[in-house]
Amino acid sequence: MLAALFVSAVFAQDTVALCASCHGADGNSQIPNIPSIAGQPKLFVENQLILFREGLRVSLQMQPAVQGLTDQEIVRLARHYTSQPARPATTEATDPAQAERGIAIAKKLHCGSCHLPDFRGREQMPRLAGQREDYLVESMLAYRDNRRTGGDTIMAATLYGVSDADIRTLAYYLARLR
Amino acid sequence: MKRTVAILALVSFGSAFAQSTPPAPPPIWQQGRPAAMADSKLAPLAGRMTETPRSEVPVSNLNLPDGFTVEIWAHGLPGGRAMALGDNGKIYVGTRIIGRVYEVTDGGDRRSVRVVVDKLTQPAGVAFANGSLYVMAIDKMLRFDGIEGNPNVAPVDMTAQFNLPPLQHHNWKYIRFGPDKKLYVPFGSPCNICEPTAEYGQIRRYNPDGSGMEVIARGVRNSVGFDWHPKTGELWFTDHGRDWMGDAGPQDELNRLSKTGLFFGFPYCHAQGVPDADFKKADPCNGVTLPVTLMGPHAAVMGVLFYTGKMFPAEYRDTMFIARKGSWNRTTKFGFDVVNVRATPDGKNAKVTPFMTGFMNAKDQSFWGRPAYLLQMPDGAVLVSDEQLGAIYRVSYARGK
Repeated sequence: MLAALFVSAVFAQDTVALCASCHGADGNSQIPNIPSIAGQPKLFVENQLILFREGLRVSLQMQPAVQGLTDQEIVRLARHYTSQPARPATTEATDPAQAERGIAIAKKLHCGSCHLPDFRGREQMPRLAGQREDYLVESMLAYRDNRRTGGDTIMAATLYGVSDADIRTLAYYLARLR
Repeated sequence: MKRTVAILALVSFGSAFAQSTPPAPPPIWQQGRPAAMADSKLAPLAGRMTETPRSEVPVSNLNLPDGFTVEIWAHGLPGGRAMALGDNGKIYVGTRIIGRVYEVTDGGDRRSVRVVVDKLTQPAGVAFANGSLYVMAIDKMLRFDGIEGNPNVAPVDMTAQFNLPPLQHHNWKYIRFGPDKKLYVPFGSPCNICEPTAEYGQIRRYNPDGSGMEVIARGVRNSVGFDWHPKTGELWFTDHGRDWMGDAGPQDELNRLSKTGLFFGFPYCHAQGVPDADFKKADPCNGVTLPVTLMGPHAAVMGVLFYTGKMFPAEYRDTMFIARKGSWNRTTKFGFDVVNVRATPDGKNAKVTPFMTGFMNAKDQSFWGRPAYLLQMPDGAVLVSDEQLGAIYRVSYARGK
């Protein structure tokens, strides 16, 4: 049903407006389990759109939305979203003890070496700072449990053996970063 | 005594395959990085998955020796790397993440590109024999019979015959048919540094139908390029050195397989006799076949081509062209070029000289292209694939240019 809505929407709306219907008017998502895409590195956005369009990354919601997009349109969309300011998904206060635990876990897993110490991401590696907490949890679990198809083998390997509790703590910490 | 040992080895090898429950995969990223490098921001370089327009391929930045010319031969093949030449002149090109195999047709004044198959898991391995295209993804082997004349032929799925192990890292393939008509397939170590289990860290060969599997070399970390010496018929293969032991190395290798069954050192002994920092062993290089030559620190050495054509000057006959995709695990970039390598057929007297440069600017550390594989054409020109821009260059020679 949702897929059909998307297919008809492609013909009725400008593509960016289509994206906004889930990812938020400014690219900062207000919908549970749907990621914010504002301020994501340009190459990261390009790659994910390609992976969805090629059917290499499976998503019942995304695949109808990107079906038929040309490479040039994908590049244009990526350029648009990378320049949108990222706003943190939550304004909740941060428990310092939880944050300390999150910092320690991130250090052990070397998250910052790819995603950069402030977790703003670069190139093909996404911005994690201020991302929706629920989406971060879902993504890390999917990588760990080999349910995230497409892309590099490195994320599954990095999260191998990491506990559910540690994943939730990481997500808590990253979501509250500015 | 020798025969008993050989039989024992075969039996233990066979049983390792029969009961192959995959062990816990080593966490690749955490591995082998010492505390001293904890704050390093080195990370693998990003590939491009969108098409690059012809006007954005800066081929005029490339440098070659006098008399050589380079032109854009094909473009619009994002992620294109290994190339295989069909009987009727079509060229098949494998990729990794984008999951496609391309077919390039030469129309005379230009090339056209179509996608043969997509949605595969890193179908980097392509080979052509007996009118058939062989495609090996990490977890699949497909054969397209008569594809040049029958573009929509449904593939024959041969996966079950090839005994592919489950782990993905370093197991995207380079495959090629040898002078013995067998198919040669490397199986990389699924880690940066580890003791690979029986199915990994090796090169195998098979009959084209997957039967007669033999492990011909072990102690190989990750080989994605090889060719056979035109005079001796011996296999010469490249091998990527491990990460996180510093900028100087251990360097990538060019190795020669003078007979089957040799051990090339991984994980205990690297390059020309560098003991591993993490996996220690007494006398680690004892029994190890050392490289013909070193191919540079973290250079990402790829395709090997023994040149046998008549277009290039005679001094290039029976020498190698080797592509180096370029480094990520090094604070100053290295590679991003094609080199010419000469050695005597016994693997001695090796000399490595730059051949095609200009993909990387050492001053500002930028790069625009990453040469990956080479293919000699019937007229003696050499094609070079650029995995970064999804383009193929043609290198030709004319005296007096």
